[in-house]
Amino acid sequence: MIPGKLVRFLEQHATVAFAGLRNGDLVPFGHRVSGWRVGADQRTITIFFPDDFLQGLIELLQQNGELAVTVEEISSHETYQFKGRYRQHREVNEDDLDIVNRIRHRFARSLKALYHNVPEDVLREFVSPASLAVEFEVQEIYLQTPGPGAGTRLIPSTEG
Amino acid sequence: MAMTRLPPEIRQVLDNGTACVMVTCSTDGKPNTTIISQVYYVDETHAALSFQFFSKTIRNVRENPRAYVCVFDIQGRAHWELQLQFERSETQGPVFDAMDMQIEAIASMTGMSGIFKLRAADIYRVLSVERVSHPAIGPTAPVAD
Repeated sequence: MIPGKLVRFLEQHATVAFAGLRNGDLVPFGHRVSGWRVGADQRTITIFFPDDFLQGLIELLQQNGELAVTVEEISSHETYQFKGRYRQHREVNEDDLDIVNRIRHRFARSLKALYHNVPEDVLREFVSPASLAVEFEVQEIYLQTPGPGAGTRLIPSTEG
Repeated sequence: MAMTRLPPEIRQVLDNGTACVMVTCSTDGKPNTTIISQVYYVDETHAALSFQFFSKTIRNVRENPRAYVCVFDIQGRAHWELQLQFERSETQGPVFDAMDMQIEAIASMTGMSGIFKLRAADIYRVLSVERVSHPAIGPTAPVAD
């Protein structure tokens, strides 16, 4: 189960995410992410993908189901990785697109401090329109905030 | 077999020190995704990544040498996708020294001095490289938060 603190992080603070997959030969691939939503039961996350290379992405997920998603709040560098198994996919709906739009604006605002000479509409383009929603069951969560604690497994807890 | 070469235009993107994302895979088939501070240009056919902590990424590439890296070019409205193969790790020499200096500069700029420390420069052969442009999205609805 995703702890409440991390649900709030995902829903209110995180600004950018990226997904990792692999093929049958264990060759890793990455895919940009435009948004995310935590499931009501706090056991799943639905990832919204832009429409580049989607066919290959779905094939990989249906072949082996393995998915890893890193999510960061750029301004604080707070970062977590969520690992789990693909469950299902569908087309995005209006609610999903609203989430993507909120994340797009949050992302552009946070990057503006680093790229103050780049127009905000150019920064917003980085979060591409989403067309596919992929739900996955979260099985492991790791801390990835830079520092000696990076890589610590949070869920399931390593203690006890 | 023809060698894949990094195009000249990627050099400036890499030298700007933009954040990147790296995906590796363990031998039991679990992908691992992590944000890395920089991809360092070594030569036309090689790139170097920093080894700062004993991370899952470091363990993965030593058991399965394939890696994917995405380099963001915010100002160029694009990103670069690289498929890499881990070749060796260097703990001294010109590549290590240059990376060490750049990592300290990035750490200083991002308020992370004393946290980033280069243990080794991991050298990768470039297997493929592709630039992907981001589509223009036009005006977007304003948001409250």
